[in-house]
Amino acid sequence: MTQLELQQRGVLNLLKCRGTPPGDPWLRLVEGSRELAMLRKIAIWWRTFQIEAQCRQTSRLLKRLGSFEALVTDYFNRNATSPFIEELSRSFLRSLEKHNDPVVRAVSQLEYAALNAQARLPEASEILWDRHPDLVCRAIESGAELPPAEPDCLYRLRISGSQPFTLTCTRESTFEVS
Amino acid sequence: MPGFEAAFGGWPVPALATTYEGGDPALLERLVQLVDLLEIAPDTIVGSERGQYILRPEVLDEYASVSSRVGLIAHGIGLSIGSFDQWNHDYLRLLDELFARFDLQWHSEHLACTVVAGESLGTMLSMPRTQEALDLVSRRVELLQKLYPVPFLLEHVIQLLPDAPAEFTPAGFLNAITSRTGCGLVLDVYNLECDAHNQGLHIPAFLDELNLAAVVEMHLAGGVQYEGFQLDIHSSITRESTVTLACEIVRRAPNLRAVTFEYLKEAVGLLGHDAICGELQRLRQTVLRQAVLQ
Ligand SMILES: [Fe+2]
Ligand SMILES: [Fe+2]
Repeated sequence: MTQLELQQRGVLNLLKCRGTPPGDPWLRLVEGSRELAMLRKIAIWWRTFQIEAQCRQTSRLLKRLGSFEALVTDYFNRNATSPFIEELSRSFLRSLEKHNDPVVRAVSQLEYAALNAQARLPEASEILWDRHPDLVCRAIESGAELPPAEPDCLYRLRISGSQPFTLTCTRESTFEVS
Repeated sequence: MPGFEAAFGGWPVPALATTYEGGDPALLERLVQLVDLLEIAPDTIVGSERGQYILRPEVLDEYASVSSRVGLIAHGIGLSIGSFDQWNHDYLRLLDELFARFDLQWHSEHLACTVVAGESLGTMLSMPRTQEALDLVSRRVELLQKLYPVPFLLEHVIQLLPDAPAEFTPAGFLNAITSRTGCGLVLDVYNLECDAHNQGLHIPAFLDELNLAAVVEMHLAGGVQYEGFQLDIHSSITRESTVTLACEIVRRAPNLRAVTFEYLKEAVGLLGHDAICGELQRLRQTVLRQAVLQ
């Protein structure tokens, strides 16, 4: 490994808080430095800014839940982030696929589908909501309280995979008679 | 290889340039009345279509609509000319698209690494000033000079991390690249001030050592201080100290062809159109005037 490779791989690992502690003297100097902490802050600040601009609904919702910055930081550390804002945004939204909050999952999937539609990427999808999707989006936009989950029912939002992109939503009962 | 001196001989006064990233036609109309050149950062106007990165057609149309009134130059962000393994081929495809559509007067990139082993750093890492880095960057500059028919310039970036072991001084490293490849330089005056603040760079000694004949474009911007660091976040107008330093460089750089005021698109709302336009008028009357007065 050349010195340049050693240094660049080392800084990448330090920035992303991963890998084993470096053996190289310069990387060891960098490791505990306030300069590295600032570089990391700048990198994450830019990602936060870009995601906020591109994924408006999801970032508003996550801010409301108080988890936006932590999730962006975690996403930055764990993933090979794209330098291009659209790809970064799509990838961030995909990372929320398994989020434990059903509203976060649904809103991020909806925004992901919207970005795909903008980029003319044909991808059919189906998003399940535990409450009325339109009321959720309106509440996020206006800052009002989120509507409560509706027991014994779900909303199935289908997005067509070809142009013209269409949305259809059905309300289904999940009530089971025992 | 198009050398900068041969390419620009005969321009008596540097052009005034500024950045424009699209989507603000009212600002664009005002800018073209004030500047001679618009600087396009291809990375900032990227969209995608069917999984391919493309330059957003609506922004390209905006540049086309004013291309008879102003010249165009390109300033890349994401080529990553200094990556140990490979540079960013996606950026070159964007540049190809830009060159296919417009007659660019020159193009430039940062002397930096933004991608490591295919992974984006999310920030710019300055290059260690070593023979190894010099050889790598020079090879790639020479390739760019073969690929594109206009001069290529490199811009030094601010250095945030502690200095890595070096075989060259900051100016000596730039001199070695320009003398080996014939490429020009973008001298970012605000970046010098950041390095002076953050790294203790001695600007007078740097300028005395730098081959100022290689400086083709000068960048001016304002930034922020945060937690004791001076940062290159271009969110304000140029400080008086930057303008004073710029005036000195204009007097000393014989091949300077453009002075570019840089601001972030994200800062436009904060600054306002009037402040950006006022800044351009001020720079013409102060910095560019130095060249006329000589
Ligand atoms: Fe730059
Ligand atoms: Fe610059």
